[in-house]
Amino acid sequence: MVHIAMLTGFVLIAIGIYGALTNRNILRMIVAFTVANTGVNIVLVSVGYMMGRTAPILDAAVPVAEAANRIIDPVPQALVLTAIVIGLGVTALMLAYAYRLYDCRGSLDISRFRDLKW
Amino acid sequence: MVKKAIALALILGLGLIFAALLLGYAPDAALNETAAYYATRTADEIGAQNIVTAIIVTYRGLDTLGEVTVLFLTAAIVGLVLSRTRAGDNAPRLSDLPPPGELLEIGTKLLVPLILLFGAYVFINGHLTPGGGFQGGAILASAILLMLLTDPLRRSSHRLISRIESSAGLFYVVIGVLGAALAGGFLDNRILPLGEFGALFSAGAIPVIYALIGLKVGAEFSSMMVSLSETEDE
Amino acid sequence: MVSAIHILSTGLGAAFLLGLLPEAWRGRAHLVTLAALALMSAIALSWVLAFAFDGQQMVDVFTAGVSPPFAINLRLGMAEAALSLTVCLSGLLSALYLKTSLITQGRRAMAVLLIAVMAFCGIILTRDIFNLFVFVELSVVSVGGLVLLSDDNRALGAGFKYLIVSQVVSILMLLGVIFLYHAGGTLNIDTLTAANAAGIGTGGLAFFLLLMAVVAEAKPVPANGWALDIYQAAHPAFSALFSAAAGTAALFAVDKVLVMGGPTWPPVVAGIGLFSFVAANVLGLSQTHDRRLLGYSSIAQIGLVLGVVGLKDVVGEHYLFIAGGILVAHAVAKAGMFWLSGLVAERKLSAWAVLRKNPILLFAFATFVALLVGLPPFPGFYAKWELIHALMAQDRVVLVALILLGALLEATYLMRWFGYALKRGADLESVQFEVRKVAVVLTAALGGWGLGYVWGELSGHANLLHSMALLFALGFVVLDGLPAWVKNTVAIAGMSAFFYVSYPGYDPLQLIFASIILLGGAAIFVAGYHERGRRLGFYPSAMLMYAGLAMLIVADTTFQFFAAWEVLTVGSYFLILRGKESEPHALSYIVFSLGGAFALMAGFALASGGVSEFAIQGLSDVAAEAAPWVFVLLAVGFMTKTAAIGLHIWLPGAHAEAETDVSPMVSGILLKAGLFGLFTLLMTMGKTQMYGVELTHVLMWIGAISALLGNLMAVFQEDAKRLLAYSSIGQMGYALFGLAMMNHLGWLMALMFVINHYVYKSMLFLSVGGVAKRTGTKLMYRMGGLITLMPLSFVAVLIGIIAMSGVPPLSGFGGRWIFYNAIMTAEYKLPILIIFLSGPIAFLYLFRLIHTIFLGQLKDEHRRITEAPFWIVVPQMLFVAFLLGFAVVPGLALRHVDAYIAQFFVGGGLSWDGLTITSPFGYWSPVSIMIVTGAIFAVLLAWLVFLNHKAQKVKQFNIVFAAERPHRPETTHFAWNFYAPYRKAFGFLLKPYATWFWDGVAGAFHGVAETARRFYTGDGQVYAFHMLGFVLVVYLIAMGM
Repeated sequence: MVHIAMLTGFVLIAIGIYGALTNRNILRMIVAFTVANTGVNIVLVSVGYMMGRTAPILDAAVPVAEAANRIIDPVPQALVLTAIVIGLGVTALMLAYAYRLYDCRGSLDISRFRDLKW
Repeated sequence: MVKKAIALALILGLGLIFAALLLGYAPDAALNETAAYYATRTADEIGAQNIVTAIIVTYRGLDTLGEVTVLFLTAAIVGLVLSRTRAGDNAPRLSDLPPPGELLEIGTKLLVPLILLFGAYVFINGHLTPGGGFQGGAILASAILLMLLTDPLRRSSHRLISRIESSAGLFYVVIGVLGAALAGGFLDNRILPLGEFGALFSAGAIPVIYALIGLKVGAEFSSMMVSLSETEDE
Repeated sequence: MVSAIHILSTGLGAAFLLGLLPEAWRGRAHLVTLAALALMSAIALSWVLAFAFDGQQMVDVFTAGVSPPFAINLRLGMAEAALSLTVCLSGLLSALYLKTSLITQGRRAMAVLLIAVMAFCGIILTRDIFNLFVFVELSVVSVGGLVLLSDDNRALGAGFKYLIVSQVVSILMLLGVIFLYHAGGTLNIDTLTAANAAGIGTGGLAFFLLLMAVVAEAKPVPANGWALDIYQAAHPAFSALFSAAAGTAALFAVDKVLVMGGPTWPPVVAGIGLFSFVAANVLGLSQTHDRRLLGYSSIAQIGLVLGVVGLKDVVGEHYLFIAGGILVAHAVAKAGMFWLSGLVAERKLSAWAVLRKNPILLFAFATFVALLVGLPPFPGFYAKWELIHALMAQDRVVLVALILLGALLEATYLMRWFGYALKRGADLESVQFEVRKVAVVLTAALGGWGLGYVWGELSGHANLLHSMALLFALGFVVLDGLPAWVKNTVAIAGMSAFFYVSYPGYDPLQLIFASIILLGGAAIFVAGYHERGRRLGFYPSAMLMYAGLAMLIVADTTFQFFAAWEVLTVGSYFLILRGKESEPHALSYIVFSLGGAFALMAGFALASGGVSEFAIQGLSDVAAEAAPWVFVLLAVGFMTKTAAIGLHIWLPGAHAEAETDVSPMVSGILLKAGLFGLFTLLMTMGKTQMYGVELTHVLMWIGAISALLGNLMAVFQEDAKRLLAYSSIGQMGYALFGLAMMNHLGWLMALMFVINHYVYKSMLFLSVGGVAKRTGTKLMYRMGGLITLMPLSFVAVLIGIIAMSGVPPLSGFGGRWIFYNAIMTAEYKLPILIIFLSGPIAFLYLFRLIHTIFLGQLKDEHRRITEAPFWIVVPQMLFVAFLLGFAVVPGLALRHVDAYIAQFFVGGGLSWDGLTITSPFGYWSPVSIMIVTGAIFAVLLAWLVFLNHKAQKVKQFNIVFAAERPHRPETTHFAWNFYAPYRKAFGFLLKPYATWFWDGVAGAFHGVAETARRFYTGDGQVYAFHMLGFVLVVYLIAMGM
């Protein structure tokens, strides 16, 4: 179960990076990276997952005394939230770039932006 | 073609690393030291029912402050970039645009207050139930999105949004500093009483912080959307 | 003390506060930004001071009131505080520099800048790997944002490439973080280290991913194309921040992360870093765009520090001193250079010529270059010394060689650039620079000097900035606004006084060198009264050289010796660079000299076995297996200075193109530094054998061949100053030969050469220089018949060549006499033959000086010229007087030295009886020789006058052009190619083999650079390929190890 989730995550990362490396269109690259980011997030949460346990909320169902044996690892859950938000921020920044790049050159082809080199 | 082949080869190489990670992964049978600490001590130390919230807002509060800052940064940068290109605005008039339609107009009036309320509920209850500032903030922003759909030329909210965003951030930092000054460390939530476990007003400063985060995230998303919608006008 | 967390909270709070200010309050918003950055710097500074002076211990800052590993904690030690201070200050100064554009962009841009600085500090302070990720992403986003604000549209492309690569990096980092958490059960670095998480399950792989992610932030070659593009296109003030602050933060992150991984990974990181250092410096060679070149240099410097981080265990207790020294020197200098580049309108390297009208900016430029190259008295100098010694202590010879090679390459392109700025480009009207920006640059430069002082204090050696000689020389930087004659007087007085004060402390050998350096130097300064105006830059450079020389001869330890060596090298470089056409020659001088200096450093380190404070006397007990290598390294180092054949190609141009009164300084005085070094070497190490070959024998051969070829090349020169320069190669060959004979008389002869060469070479350079000043040319065939117009110069040249050719009665004869005595006692016969042969060759070129310049027909265009300027003639007359005096009483100086040398060799000395000197082979009575020669001369002269009294004067007429003007008029001149038959005979010896060889080496490096840099295609996706490929290759290499 965990391995399947994790495999899914890794496959998504690979697809995302492959897409970002082979698509010349900037918007496609950005989309590809969001796919990869999603994959990373899946891997993140799957690392904390434990079979047969429940969400880390100490309500009536999970009294404090039993918590250590009943809940899954809460840390990856906290991390993934941060990672999602940061990924979102970077994506928004990339989009802003795409906007400006298009504004300057009228093109979204990454190979058109090669005037700085060597 | 060569490029794709190289890309494929690189991905394969990366895949080998991933495979090693995947095959070497063995799920824990019991919580590790850190997680066990959170499971057993959160109730006493932080007073929050939702352990994830306790981690996000307090134990790893510095991360969250950074995360909020990333959003703040992005909103600022997007605003800057888009405002640059907006120079020389030949603002379109309302009559240029197709009318939003009755359904949307009425629906907006009906739904926006409800959405705002729901958003606020989500972030204020962040320490008790699943959800929290980020989720709540995103919900708040969806209300603004609805308003923008109805009336794309609405400008009045711009300054307000920016005010909310900055003051929420500033208060967040101030609370952090208060934690360092009055309690055990930066962002310590025990500057307010922990209250009764499970109650709305419990877990010290967590609800306050989450409310600030909610407002801030909502404002940031909104400001990005407003900026974007304004560029679309051209 | 204010907690370190408030460095972060101040930055963040101010960023949010800016959002509350009204949009129109832009000036006030800028003030808030500056105030916040100043406060952050102040907090960091207070901690630095507490660590330095109050014995403050490292503190952990807890957040959330919970102790780690359950909550994030920050750590603040000396390193963290100092680096945060570096980051905050570069942020503060950049914000000041950026004032105009920040105010135009508005408060949001200021907030981005504040957050960037805060994020860099966060990377330095945090002890939690996920928190590290958050701060890294914050820095990515803010850097991306700041690039977006650049005016250069190409920066957009660069920024996007950066985001592509950082996406890949952040994916790797997150995977690394989460699997490391899984392995160790915590995110805290210290707990992970204690739990050896990298050794559990997939922890090793996870650690590798995390490590690669932080290493990637340090922009290693080849995964760094994006960084170069950013450096090239972004606003320079931003690049300053990016290079100084982001680089610093990334390196500290690597240092932090690396401790978790166990012993496998430091060598890998060291390899990446040093590869980056050398490769970026090679690539930098062929750069012509100033900011991109700075980018390459940044990558190289950060690579070097990365290498040191990987070698942490090897360098041991000096780790912080070394890594910190290189890092802060880099940060200050690179930030300063980027700020400077903002003042230069064009992006060509030669466009920096606009700075040369502004002494402050030129001073700053020189300071930054010296900081980067690691010249004394800056931190990089001390750090490099310790680094090389620490590596040598562990026998890491290959690493030493790599580091020195990289450093030499970097010095090459930086010095070349400095030369361009000083010498190339149009001579513009002085440009007005914004005072604010100049102030920022100057602050950085002064900061560099301050750091030099601090590192000197920390070094455990004598602080160079406490040296009287050096301080006196640096004082001229301050005095530079005064008129030249005032400074000249101060210089002469200072040098004489220094000699007077130091006189009692010198032993006889030192005394001879000190007299030449200090008194001889003062004598040449007399010619400086000729110059009008302020002569900006001359006195600091010259005094720096003299300070170095004065420090050299009294050096007790290898460190002092090396420091002095570098000081004199730098001073003389600036001095040589002053000549009109001297830029390429000055460059080859400094490159050879630094190469030689690095050989010295390696030799000293090898000799001491890595002990950094090592007495020079200790060279006599170097372990037997190391001794031959030490000997070779030191001998090569010293021979670059004496311009032994093969290492000589810098000399002719450097000496010939220098200013009139600089040529004698760098020829008559500076070359003696090399001889002093050889004296020291042979006195301590003596005869040394390598694989059965006697090394002094090799030196003897080198000396003999230098003498022969140097003289031979001098014969065929058309340029009078070049002729003198080549003759120096030959003269130094004689001296080297004498030293290498390793007997009493040989050394005495070498010392005789030390004195004589100073006198007659200074004199000849001054007189030829004076003539060249009047005739406007240095080519001999364009002169002629000047004897009546410039009689004093003629007398000086005549006396000079008599002395130099070694005919009686002048002191050159004494030199010859000792020399012939010496070689009769020598063991080897073949090199002696060569030395004999080169004697008559010297006559050939000396004859030309008299014949072609002063005799023959006067050129039409020279009919109205007069004697050389008064102040240039005065020192010549001093030298004439000295030569005559020294010829009569050579014993004054030599007697003491003879006794001094006697302690090194048994027997073979001379006996001194009144004014007569006796050797086993005969005696020399200078007075009677003088009388006999004088008598013969008088008789001959009288006879000549008698013969000529009826001579009829004929008017000169022009017969050069009968009908047509030849394509190359000089070919019809009898004095052109004067020795054509000899050239036919010996020409094969004179093919510039050495020049070809060194050109080949330089060409190879440039070729590699030109080809290899095409690797950076400019395509963002290709850069991502590089990144992934880099990670995989490193993984494979690490697995293979």
